[in-house]
Amino acid sequence: MSDALLVASGLHRTYVMGRSRLHVLRGCSLSVRRGEFLAIMGKSGSGKSTLLHILGALDVPQEGQVLFEDRPVFAPPGKRRLYDTAFDMLSTCERQRIAYRRFAFGFVFQFYHLLPELNVLENVLLTRMVGCSTFTWWRERHQARHDALEILRRVGLHERLRHRPAELSGGERQRVAIARALVHRPKVLLADEPTGNLDAEAGAALLGLLADLHAEGQTIVLVTHDPGVAARADRVLRLEDGRLHSA
Amino acid sequence: MYKLFLTLRYLRKRRIAYFAIAAVMLCTAMVLIVMSVMGGFLDQLKTKARGLLGDVIIDNRSYSGFPLYDEFIADISAWPEIVKATPVLYTYGLLRFHGTPRTHTVQVVGVRLEDVYQVNAFRGSLYYEKYYPGTTHLGEQQQPLVGFDVAGPAIEWRDQHGALLGSGPRPLLPPAYQTALEKSWSAGIRDDESPASEFATMLKAAGLPPIVGQYEAVPGIGPPLMVGDPQPGLIIGRDIIATRLPDGRYQRYWNIPRGCLVTLTLLPMSSAGTVDTPVKQPLRYVDDSRTGIYEIDSRHVYCDFELLQKLLRMDAAERVDAQTGETIGVVPPRCSQIQVKIAAGHDPRDVARRLKEYYHGMVKDPRFSGMLDLNDMQLIGFIDALTWEESQAHIIAPVEKERQLVTILFAIISLVAAVLVLCILYMIVLQKTRDIGIIKALGGSSAGVALIFIAYGAAVGIVGSALGTIIGYYFVTYINQIQDWLTRMNPAWQVWDRSVYSFDAIPNTVRSADMITVIVAAIIASTLGSLAAAWRAGTMQPVEALRHE
Repeated sequence: MSDALLVASGLHRTYVMGRSRLHVLRGCSLSVRRGEFLAIMGKSGSGKSTLLHILGALDVPQEGQVLFEDRPVFAPPGKRRLYDTAFDMLSTCERQRIAYRRFAFGFVFQFYHLLPELNVLENVLLTRMVGCSTFTWWRERHQARHDALEILRRVGLHERLRHRPAELSGGERQRVAIARALVHRPKVLLADEPTGNLDAEAGAALLGLLADLHAEGQTIVLVTHDPGVAARADRVLRLEDGRLHSA
Repeated sequence: MYKLFLTLRYLRKRRIAYFAIAAVMLCTAMVLIVMSVMGGFLDQLKTKARGLLGDVIIDNRSYSGFPLYDEFIADISAWPEIVKATPVLYTYGLLRFHGTPRTHTVQVVGVRLEDVYQVNAFRGSLYYEKYYPGTTHLGEQQQPLVGFDVAGPAIEWRDQHGALLGSGPRPLLPPAYQTALEKSWSAGIRDDESPASEFATMLKAAGLPPIVGQYEAVPGIGPPLMVGDPQPGLIIGRDIIATRLPDGRYQRYWNIPRGCLVTLTLLPMSSAGTVDTPVKQPLRYVDDSRTGIYEIDSRHVYCDFELLQKLLRMDAAERVDAQTGETIGVVPPRCSQIQVKIAAGHDPRDVARRLKEYYHGMVKDPRFSGMLDLNDMQLIGFIDALTWEESQAHIIAPVEKERQLVTILFAIISLVAAVLVLCILYMIVLQKTRDIGIIKALGGSSAGVALIFIAYGAAVGIVGSALGTIIGYYFVTYINQIQDWLTRMNPAWQVWDRSVYSFDAIPNTVRSADMITVIVAAIIASTLGSLAAAWRAGTMQPVEALRHE
């Protein structure tokens, strides 16, 4: 097994918007080492989020491939389906892509994306519920709860378990999102502008948390347009005109 | 696991889903009420019709009747499949209560009471026979008057609260009636179908059996008496001599006591179908019958078969030659109908067919050669034997069809609930677009996301149909009380007219099979209604869903 945990090569992604075609990624290639903190910078609308979504198997490139631990995430281009169907579980490739999202990656979004009907603990536990049968969940629920409490303690929200997202500040919500992304111990944490919606103080606290996680060996890929945030990373790549350049 | 978790959470937290649940609930209740009332109506119709008829009915649909019934009954009584057969006479008449201006046009039924008891459930419909067993007969009898036990010890009169009102001699009926009443009282038979009178309450408070029904009292304080000329008995439909109270009980008219005199005016009819001079017959009201079918209880009176036959001149008579005036034989007696009870395990259709063939064959029987004239032979030729279901098919079949039709119509209307579920779930899917993106980002599959909404639809169906079934069940159970309450509020709101719907009460039984059918149908409809929303949710692209504003 090579040292590269996540390798993307020749990624192309074009969006068709009415009559116009938007070629967002034009052959992006990158490699993320185990335990690396990689920041991808770029202007707004440059395709940073699209690249992150493809790296996390959330979106599908028209061309190119992503290898996770040397295994392809997407089907070969000829057999690749760009859009989800209701029958995705019938396809082996699609099942595999979903499995990566479930077990290998953890997402943190700019706008937190917590489920408003669930409280803090339930939002975090949801990650563990996904992919569990009722029977498995019944067997593992105590361990899952223990893990969720541990991670919430880590992000400083262990006393706000029963609060709903609407009752939390922006920084607290983002910490819940990080706890949710980490509770299943993903190999790669993918963060899309995690400080973009936070004030300076909350942003700094969050970056401190990410730095701590990185220090413990967590592989992090972070997308940002803020050079201050990118400065915390081991390595910074710049996305311009659909291609990646070293910063 | 997340599918079940989110389904239950959305069900609890998305208040808009309550509208879908309410729609399913109302539709379920509506269909269940319709099915129960119509089904109950049909069942009652069958039960009541069955209770008043034999297993097989032999009839020629002519008020002139048909002859040789006694010979026929004697012959078929030897058949192993025949339990009992009895002749019945039908005619119309005018009933007048003495001492009142009340007159009624009635259908007069002539029966051999003891035989009818064995053929159908007529005995169970009698009021006085229930509380005074063995006292109802159609033979000549006097009027019983309530008197007092002047020689016995005085009893204390108390009201329903036990407060002492005074004391006096114990009220008593003539011995045969008093003995029968005490027998039924000790057997635990209580009158809960009539409102308690003050008299009955005082007797009960004194620990004595209350005098059930309406009796005239002796003048002054004297012993009980049997008074008046002996006259044949008459059983009268309960809706003629009593009024139904809103709670379903019957209040007997005070001026129509048991044993009072009535007059029946009849039109005799010859075998040729000609009407003779009207005849009047005084009778005594001995009992009242409640079959539960309004048309019958408000019109039928029952007297002795032989008496009615004689009054209608349908009994045996000399046959006179119209030209010479000489007696040339005997005109056989006639009846209108024969009711037959058959033994269990025999096919009524097959027995009916054989009975009909046998009756038609009697015309050629040498035993009766020269006894029948052309009219008699024609009357026998018209005879048909039908099972009770066939004889009532003209009533049962339309109601059965009506029930199917109404159920289908209401089921179609209930599709509104499925469409509403579709609309509401589709709206929820649109509202939860970002949530769907999050679930997919966490590793939820498209099929899994779709299943959340299918399970949501099913859950709406389960909760809605369960609530609807509870509401429907209690509505149907208390439907008569609800109607009585509405009628008390405004008489124009009475929806169940006994004269229209035959029965004096709305059917109020919910069948388990109907409940299960309605619940299953509601769940299937709701689940189908959720499919479009589920498809939309399942095919939603996670990236687009996450970017949804």
